[in-house]
Amino acid sequence: MSDSANASKPSSSVKLVLLGEAAVGKSSLVLRFVNNDFQENKEPTIGAAFLTQKCSLPTRTIKFEIWDTAGQERFASLAPMYYRNAQAALVVYDITKPSSLTKAKHWVAELQRQASPGIVIALVGNKSDLASDNGNGNESNSSGGSGGNPGEPGPDAETTGDAISAGQDGEGNNDAIEGSGENAEEESDEAAARDARKVSTREARTYAEEESLLFFETSAKTGTNVTEVFTAIANAIPESSLKGGRGAGAGTGQTGLGGRAAEDSRVNLGDRATATAKEGCAC
Amino acid sequence: MESLTETLWDVTISGTGLAQSLLALALSRSGKKVLHVDKNKYYGGSEAAFSLQEAQEWVDLVNAESSQMPFEDAQVYIPSDSTETGVGSLSPSRAYTLALSPQLIYSRSQLLPTLVSSKVYRQLEFQAVGSWWVHAHAGGSRDTDADALRGLYRVPSSREDVFADEMITTKSKRTLMRFLRHIGKAQQEDQGPSDAEEEDLSMSFPEYLTSRFQVPEELHEPLLSLSLSQDAPQQTPASFAIPRVKRHLASIGVFGAGFGSLLAKWGGGSEISQVGCRALAVGGGVYVLNTGVQAISKVADLAHLAVELSNGETVTSRHVVGSHWDLPSPSTPDCQKVARSITIVASPLDHLFPVTAEGSPIPSGAVVVFPGSALGQEGDPPVYLLAHSSETGECPLGQSVIYGSVAIPGPRGHTLLESAVEKLVHPARILWSLRYTQLGRASAVDDAAQAVQSSGFAENVFCFPPPSLDLAFDDGLIDLVRAVWRGVMGDEARDEEFLNFDDREEQLVDA
Ligand SMILES: Nc1nc2c(ncn2[C@@H]2O[C@H](COP(=O)(O)OP(=O)(O)OP(=O)(O)O)[C@@H](O)[C@H]2O)c(=O)[nH]1
Ligand SMILES: [Mg+2]
Repeated sequence: MSDSANASKPSSSVKLVLLGEAAVGKSSLVLRFVNNDFQENKEPTIGAAFLTQKCSLPTRTIKFEIWDTAGQERFASLAPMYYRNAQAALVVYDITKPSSLTKAKHWVAELQRQASPGIVIALVGNKSDLASDNGNGNESNSSGGSGGNPGEPGPDAETTGDAISAGQDGEGNNDAIEGSGENAEEESDEAAARDARKVSTREARTYAEEESLLFFETSAKTGTNVTEVFTAIANAIPESSLKGGRGAGAGTGQTGLGGRAAEDSRVNLGDRATATAKEGCAC
Repeated sequence: MESLTETLWDVTISGTGLAQSLLALALSRSGKKVLHVDKNKYYGGSEAAFSLQEAQEWVDLVNAESSQMPFEDAQVYIPSDSTETGVGSLSPSRAYTLALSPQLIYSRSQLLPTLVSSKVYRQLEFQAVGSWWVHAHAGGSRDTDADALRGLYRVPSSREDVFADEMITTKSKRTLMRFLRHIGKAQQEDQGPSDAEEEDLSMSFPEYLTSRFQVPEELHEPLLSLSLSQDAPQQTPASFAIPRVKRHLASIGVFGAGFGSLLAKWGGGSEISQVGCRALAVGGGVYVLNTGVQAISKVADLAHLAVELSNGETVTSRHVVGSHWDLPSPSTPDCQKVARSITIVASPLDHLFPVTAEGSPIPSGAVVVFPGSALGQEGDPPVYLLAHSSETGECPLGQSVIYGSVAIPGPRGHTLLESAVEKLVHPARILWSLRYTQLGRASAVDDAAQAVQSSGFAENVFCFPPPSLDLAFDDGLIDLVRAVWRGVMGDEARDEEFLNFDDREEQLVDA
């Protein structure tokens, strides 16, 4: 998307962290959001990954600084570093795996206890393509089958996946012991790939409402609802926490601030142009 | 959970203070297997930043386990009226991020190019430290000026400032300009025999100013304040102060007009530490909090170390790195002690943060110096107060945080801090304060390679010297980190690769 229309809009950075059990699809959601791509056999994240993506709202541009954390238990000590000062969190579970919702509830509780008081939390049930009631859980080409919003992945998105291979996380051969149960479970689903859902929408939504969380069921595989989650978060960030946001456009090198000197306290250390190389958010 | 004991670690880092975290950053692309542990349940070590509740927990920890940390005698004070709700009252615990060791970073500090070349600077937000204020003893002669009424004198720190200054007489301006020119000259002619080298710099800075430049006495404290010397004027040698005043002046304008030093938003060193640890985590480092190093021994016949962790596991590692407080230390290091305080004030103290030049950013920090003579006795060291506005993210809007430091530990130091803070913020209310004694190193490290090794530890164990008590980031820390990095990297160490990385984002796209 051309940025020219956005040039005059105020731009703010939003630090967002993804939390959730191993293999629920955190990295896949980010990959879908940032690159509009999906990988059937995504490697488990080691430590954490950092990506950025812009999101253009009617009145402003939000630049998400996304911290995708590793779900494996051995990385648990890392989380506080990532949710510290985060303005938004995506807590992800896998709708085919009830234990992952339990883990998600733990994360929500920890965030409510430890993170910034105003943090916007979205509860996200991923892998909705594996449920029959989502209309795209069948074995045929499942991409682009839903959504219909202009920014969603078009026909160029991956079309090779079927529900069976999507269920094979390909992470069992690594060291994620937690994932092995799930693999077995989903492989046994082979015949009945129509519905692998084990967490009802109602249960998760009720919980999300109780805790005042945003709630979405998504599929990183098909792209369903992925952009919507990020847009909803962008809209939910209170204006006040966007104050002091980073100046729009590229930095002006060593001369200080990019065009917002009067109202900003930020000092630019270098040319930030490379950081904004990835444009074209669909939302 | 995969056991830590199955891996042969290249290096085990203990503690997540700034030194260890910059090392983590340096090793984040090395491909080395790094285990990074911290006995505390928080990141940042002695540079940590806390919410109110975390600060209270930290106080309990310090008092229960003194000698386990470079801190002593910590205490929280909450004035009885500050718990009332309503306007100007204390906000919830997590509305605050209070730094244990705040430091300002000069624009020309080596830390900044290092954060740029290692690409982590984008995860940090830097803000300007604008004005330097000196509390004038006499109380000011001109009652028209609001700052003078408060007893505050803004130190001129550029030629323009000097000319604009209304308090200095024309004659004094001339001598001051002569001094500033001299300093500026010595800086440009780095090579060749300059005047500076022939000068006798062993005398005290005030003596030097008087005897060489006839700088009038009322300008001594302001000039000293630019050096951030924590010693009394007579105890501050010219050889210490001059290069630091030079650094101050040479830093102004580097990142914009009107300011020469920066602070990192959200708690300074703590934020930089976490950026380092995050980078190593992205690079595959394994992190365990709440787990310290209890014992280190050599594995017979092998060049490996057996590292006993407080969680009961014993891991094998080629190298171990930490500080005296993060390793089973064979000796207690020599430390200086200073009294420090953190004070939350129910006022934005806007007058401390004026925009210092047209078009420059709104400063989030200011330095206020109370000379010894302004508070107690002539020979006392000065009290430094670093004022942070709510723009730093450390407190809510409408409030500010004052970090105090004085090189007199114990009750007397705290009395001085308290009276300085009260003078500065009056009539605004103090909502909360924390006082503690901090241990560290007052002087620079001469030989970094030697400093990290000569501590009586086994071979392949590196120990960072005590953290610097300097109020400005000590560039020597980067040399210490480089020395350990070289030790860990061995033959693979190539200096041009030290903290010099490509963008990760681009790497991810390629992958
Ligand atoms: N069918 C289906 N599979 C998905 C979806 N999202 C992710 N997966 C698959 O689930 C597996 C795990 O996805 P990741 O994105 O690596 O999961 P993660 O949460 O990042 O895992 P960790 O990094 O270990 O915490 C991969 O094999 C993905 O292809 C989805 O929406 N539908
Ligand atoms: Mg992942």
